[in-house]
Amino acid sequence: VSDLAALIAQQSINGIYLGCLYVMVALGLTLIYGVLNQINFAHADFVTVGAFTAFFTVTRFATKALGLPDTGGYLLSLFTALGAGAILGILVNAIVFSPLRKAGADELRPLIATIGISVLLENGQLALFGPIPYQFDSPFAKETIRFGPLFFSQQSLLVVIVSVAAIAGLYAFMRFTFLGKALRAVAQDRETAGLMGINQNLVIAMTIVIASAFAGMGGALLGPVVVLTPFAGASLIVKAFAIVIIGGFGNMEGTIVAGLLVGIIEAFTVQYLGSGLIDLVVFALLLVMLVFRPTGLIAERKEENV
Amino acid sequence: VKRWIGIGISVALVAAAPWILGTPYWRGILVVCAMNVLLALSLNLVIGYTGQLNLGQSAFYAIGAYVSTILMKTYGWNFWLAALAAVLGAGVVGLALAAFAVRLRGHYLAIASLGFAVITYQVLVNWESMTEGVRGIYGILPPVGSTLGLFYLVAGIAVVVYLLLDNLVRSPIGETLRAIREDEVSAASLGVNGAVWKAFAFGLGAAIAGLAGCFYPGFVGTLVPDAFNIVESFTMMAMVIVGGMGTMIGPVIGAIVLTLLPEVLRGFGELRLLVYGLALTLVVLFMPGGMVQAWQALRARFA
Repeated sequence: VSDLAALIAQQSINGIYLGCLYVMVALGLTLIYGVLNQINFAHADFVTVGAFTAFFTVTRFATKALGLPDTGGYLLSLFTALGAGAILGILVNAIVFSPLRKAGADELRPLIATIGISVLLENGQLALFGPIPYQFDSPFAKETIRFGPLFFSQQSLLVVIVSVAAIAGLYAFMRFTFLGKALRAVAQDRETAGLMGINQNLVIAMTIVIASAFAGMGGALLGPVVVLTPFAGASLIVKAFAIVIIGGFGNMEGTIVAGLLVGIIEAFTVQYLGSGLIDLVVFALLLVMLVFRPTGLIAERKEENV
Repeated sequence: VKRWIGIGISVALVAAAPWILGTPYWRGILVVCAMNVLLALSLNLVIGYTGQLNLGQSAFYAIGAYVSTILMKTYGWNFWLAALAAVLGAGVVGLALAAFAVRLRGHYLAIASLGFAVITYQVLVNWESMTEGVRGIYGILPPVGSTLGLFYLVAGIAVVVYLLLDNLVRSPIGETLRAIREDEVSAASLGVNGAVWKAFAFGLGAAIAGLAGCFYPGFVGTLVPDAFNIVESFTMMAMVIVGGMGTMIGPVIGAIVLTLLPEVLRGFGELRLLVYGLALTLVVLFMPGGMVQAWQALRARFA
């Protein structure tokens, strides 16, 4: 019995670690949806760009040019990846979301445009980096921490700490700063917020940049976990959508719960059913949610307009 | 009368195409072209005429390909019977998905259909006893021996499907679909059952994609799940949108241009998708009506 309990505890730990990674990706999607009612389909490709940025920071820049130790290089790469994501966020807002919003386009045009950006980013990276997976080793992955019958790598601990800190930082920002309050106001009612003198364009741009920076940093954390090819994001985006829908589109708390849930489900699916069935299980859950509870696990706050 | 002249010219162009581009390589490209036209027509009915963003069309293409091939290879059916079953199968699955998808709008439908495409792909990979998984099915014969014959067969079917759809969208049914696209609530207030008609368009689009899928395995000779990656859905969408969604001729032109363009730009051969992504983004941003809109704008300027 204790073996089973240990196994369940071990898989739950693995699941929470995976879930933290998924939350880092899915949170940006839900943040943009909450404020803008739009989907950035290229969001997960920002994760890939972040992962490659981190990879080259570690292997080329930090250790070779700056002479940092491996661990320092990896920590630095978290921030270069974050910066890369933020830059992509500025670009995608300037190229897609801002012009289409001013043109009064319907809700599907930005989605289709970002699908184009996604295809473009994936194949642009294919041209640059080739199809062969990169071996991205985190220096923290080698060190294992034992805790009774349970063990986990320093890397997974680092992932949990960094994502919890990032999410806490985001919450503090939204709760206590003026811009954060403006963001929430725009999410609740864009027009009224505009009447109150809040600069919507600034708030929307800021939201997209924050969301994309999360994606970039998520890339640095995910890089050592996924098979790092230009198409790493493609397999991630569908899972991120599943999380966002299970959690309720635009609902941050729901997304965090759903991300952890999907991570844990994935860990147990690998244990009991085999890794080939992960996507099947997650998507079956997604379709069930869409049929029975399309507003997500935690009830929706606002009705969709007709 | 003008319409019949247009049809006559188009048929003559289709008939002449394999003689203008006479090498075996180019005739192969033309077969791909004809299949892509069928796919673009199928997706346009759903996206263009009914306003449902379906990101899962590759799944129905896959169902057509796998059902027809398995019926032929494993159960020894003849091609036409297997194709009929595959088209019906894709249509029924499309209707089943639509039965609950019609309740979803906009983004939710897009994600649900994307999820369906991912599930279908995973089933093809994992159900090895039936589909051979990633190993693939080999030695599939086309329904007619020569590439030329295959082109005339698929292109002929594409022309027939085009004419049937053209009649459909001109009929009251077409008006109903457009009314739903423009404003479903207003359409409902006029007594239109939006759910039924959306499911009809979705199922018919799925069946046509399944029909295109019947010809793919015989043409290539092998069948692997990777041919039906979700990126296939995006390339179909690029064809529909670059050509001009919600018009009949636009997606046809989009399919032809986006199939031939990467071949013409030889250097980009392996980066076909880069061209697609760029074309899709630019058209959505600057010319949402696609090439049809650009053509009308040009004509308005010079006429």
